[in-house]
Amino acid sequence: MKHEQSLADVRGVMPQAPGRPLIRVSGLEACYNGKPAVRGVSFVIYEGEQLSLLGPSGCGKTTTLRCIAGLETPTAGEIVIDDHIVFSARQGIDIPSERRSLSMVFQSYAIWPHMTVFENVAYPLRLRKERANQIKLRVTEVLRMVGMEAFIDQPATNLSGGQQQRVALARSYAYLPKALLLDEPLSNLDARLRVRMREELKRIQRQFRVTNLYVTHDQEEAMALSDRIIVMRDGVIEQVGKPLDIYDAPCSRFVADFIGAANILNGQVAERRPGEAVVLEIGSARLACAPRVDMPAPNAKGESLVAVRTVYPELRRGSKGTSVNCWPATIKERILLGDIVNYVVEWPGGVLRVQGFPNMLYLEGEPLWLHIPAERAILVDADEER
Amino acid sequence: MLRSAHSTSARKPVSLPVLALVATLVLIIGYPLLLLVAMALNVGDAQALLPTHWGLANFIRLLRHLDWIRNTLLVALAGSTFGTALALLLAWIIYRTTVPGRAILELLVTIPYPVGPLVGALAWSELASPRGGLINVLFHAFTGSHASLVNVYSVPGIVFVMAIFEAPVAFLMIGAAMRQMDPSLEECSAVMGAGRLTTALRITAPLMLPAILSAWLFLFISMMGAFAIPTILGTSSRFYVATTAIYMLFQGYPPQYPLAAALGLVLIVFAASAVWLYTRALRGRSYAVVGGRTYRPRPIDMKGLTPLLFAIVCAYIVVALVLPLGILLVASLQRNSNITLSAASWTLHNYRYVLVDFPTTRQAIVNSLLLGVGTGTLGTAFATILAWVIHRSRGAGRGILEQLTMVPQSLPRLIFAAALLWMMLALPFKLYGTLFAVLIAYTIVFLPLAYRSITGVVVQLDRSLEEAGRVLGGGWLSVMRSITVPLLSPGLLAAWVLLFMVSVREVSASIFLAGPGAQVLGPAIFNFWDSGGLPQVSALVIVQTAIIFVALVVIRSVSRKGIAL
Ligand SMILES: Nc1ncnc2c1ncn2[C@@H]1O[C@H](COP(=O)(O)OP(=O)(O)OP(=O)(O)O)[C@@H](O)[C@H]1O
Ligand SMILES: [Mg+2]
Repeated sequence: MKHEQSLADVRGVMPQAPGRPLIRVSGLEACYNGKPAVRGVSFVIYEGEQLSLLGPSGCGKTTTLRCIAGLETPTAGEIVIDDHIVFSARQGIDIPSERRSLSMVFQSYAIWPHMTVFENVAYPLRLRKERANQIKLRVTEVLRMVGMEAFIDQPATNLSGGQQQRVALARSYAYLPKALLLDEPLSNLDARLRVRMREELKRIQRQFRVTNLYVTHDQEEAMALSDRIIVMRDGVIEQVGKPLDIYDAPCSRFVADFIGAANILNGQVAERRPGEAVVLEIGSARLACAPRVDMPAPNAKGESLVAVRTVYPELRRGSKGTSVNCWPATIKERILLGDIVNYVVEWPGGVLRVQGFPNMLYLEGEPLWLHIPAERAILVDADEER
Repeated sequence: MLRSAHSTSARKPVSLPVLALVATLVLIIGYPLLLLVAMALNVGDAQALLPTHWGLANFIRLLRHLDWIRNTLLVALAGSTFGTALALLLAWIIYRTTVPGRAILELLVTIPYPVGPLVGALAWSELASPRGGLINVLFHAFTGSHASLVNVYSVPGIVFVMAIFEAPVAFLMIGAAMRQMDPSLEECSAVMGAGRLTTALRITAPLMLPAILSAWLFLFISMMGAFAIPTILGTSSRFYVATTAIYMLFQGYPPQYPLAAALGLVLIVFAASAVWLYTRALRGRSYAVVGGRTYRPRPIDMKGLTPLLFAIVCAYIVVALVLPLGILLVASLQRNSNITLSAASWTLHNYRYVLVDFPTTRQAIVNSLLLGVGTGTLGTAFATILAWVIHRSRGAGRGILEQLTMVPQSLPRLIFAAALLWMMLALPFKLYGTLFAVLIAYTIVFLPLAYRSITGVVVQLDRSLEEAGRVLGGGWLSVMRSITVPLLSPGLLAAWVLLFMVSVREVSASIFLAGPGAQVLGPAIFNFWDSGGLPQVSALVIVQTAIIFVALVVIRSVSRKGIAL
């Protein structure tokens, strides 16, 4: 039920049809002082799409973004914006930032302290030689959109972090750039403001319908704001997909760990036939896992990793419901967090963390049935060192 | 009860340490200035310390010497403008472009500052005096012409030498501001569609303006009070600025103290007006974050221009460091005042003379070392107490205390030393003519320098570190000893060495105070130059520079930042 609802949600945000490719990055490589930061990244951003670059600190998200903006010079690869090659290592093309018709929101906001709020927002419009009354209209309009019209004549130094963030957004939307690049625009805000600004940002995105490339290390932000997510690790793309697809079917242990909460179980492969469920022996349990298109090969010892999200296993009192993937289990520990409840469950495969809700509470030590739907047991790649 | 206790603490009474420090500063800075004003208004007996008759006649007499003031302003305006422009260019090349050898260039460019203007003036007079200057001698030898190629005994010459020897200070100030500017401010402008020139004019320039103006002001005030350069390069052509005129009035017979005091007061008024104008111009425009992080912006690749930029920096280093020290080294090895470049006739005799044989210079070297140690210790201690009270106590009046501390910065040092001289002569016991008099003068005139250098350290030290120590059960003393002092000591040592260096090379603040009983290096070199003997002077200058270089090495090894202002 919950699952279906969120799927519908995602569909609502998606553009009707995938637009034409607006930005195409291929084989991008970038180094700092000879040390590689991005190693062969390729992806496409479609027109009108909200795309996120998600990954832990230092994985090369900012570097990728800055290469697209023209603020770093890649060592290899090609970047095409709106059918124009703006960078190509092979052809020796490197169009400077100012001629790429992009816009960017910096992590530090980069609000010019020697200007007022109006002058900050008007700056890109003045560069484009708009008429004064046009500029006035447009600035007022975008400032109203972010709820900052009352501050229009304030010096920029008077603004708080959240206000600077809104002005930075207004400034980047003021002229219509081909795409907007955002580098962790919410990371300097405190937790409460961050959640509020996330919702604001979503509303503004819907209003302006500008193509967005959004860098973040916060998975909630990426899930909430994007049509598609690119997960990066160590300068390489790990997985690309719609938020829910990545959540439901992480391709690797890293993605399963990084996005949402998951149990990673190690099992001996007992049955493995193309197109049929893979059966793993974990402890004394036999876990049937849904087959995948490109199934990860077991390791040398014949073991495979399987990821089980903590929200998907079902706990049930009374009678055993199905025969597949159903075991007797006991609650070893219960941690009540308010909105959610975490259980540590003992089952024939060892221990499993399971998430529940306060409307259906189980007691510690209570014996019950544990059911893991086969389509929720996802075979994942082990993370090889890079 | 509770409420009243609360309201008194909310009003923050002036604390005892603040009060005591304000009183001390008012006494040691304000009282000499008061004497200066009194002397300027003295129209009675010119030799009396306290006026017998009051009036404005001295100022009216000054009207006949308006050229002194005009010359001062001319030299200071031209010199500070040229010096700041040069510093801006050097800072931009070194910090913002891909010029090779950044670290070593950064170091070399700052060295002319501790080497000092006296050395610069002497060296350039040996290099480019119209007759004996090496550059002109070589020019004559090669072309056979009898005209001189360069003449440093001129207004452009004075401006040039001032600018190249004061530029390092401006370089340090502008460079610090450049490194504290968030590079995303410029990057954002570029992404939004502004070309390089537009970004430079509309973003970079306005953001750098406060630092550039304050560097310019620093140079302007410093050049208004410059003494060594205009004396050595100007007096032979009877070109007088305020400081050299004051020196002449002091040396004349009979000395004309009241006129000198009036001139000094006018100079102070100019300096104070410049500070006031600057503060007004920058009201609410200072964007620098105190103790802010430093950024490493992506340097601009100037492609084909890079060799040219590198050459510009190298040319500066040659003109301000290599040539001056080279000519002095060569001159110090000569048998007489005629410089020969053939090493066969060179001798070390001059060093033996200044280090061993001649008691005056020997004593001056020892005294200067003593003074350096004394000023370093006293100045660091005083500045630490001031910085601590200003930034760490909670009482009212700390703003006034800080402003008072910075007052000596806008007082030309020669004039303040003259005022101190009168104060010391008025004392019931003998202070004038002792090393102690010079020590007091140095400590006061270098107080702003010491304070600025130490404030950074005190502010940087996180208060929570101390509180952690106190919570763990240590008393104030043990917190100071085991946490605060070890954390502060590299910064304190750097400030100490900085004070040591500037004291060893100082001449303006000691020329009146050092007497027969208290010879020190700066005035000794100056007097030596006055009485001829170029090879010996050069040897003495090289000895002084060697001491400074040792101090520089120490400063580099204790603090990664090197000289910090
Ligand atoms: N200016 C720089 N000089 C040297 N190395 C750098 C520089 N900027 C980034 N790096 C290195 O490049 C790698 C990728 O950095 P990048 O800033 O792209 O990471 P990121 O994914 O944006 O991380 P974060 O979430 O912390 O912002 C890191 O290992 C980092 O140390
Ligand atoms: Mg980043």
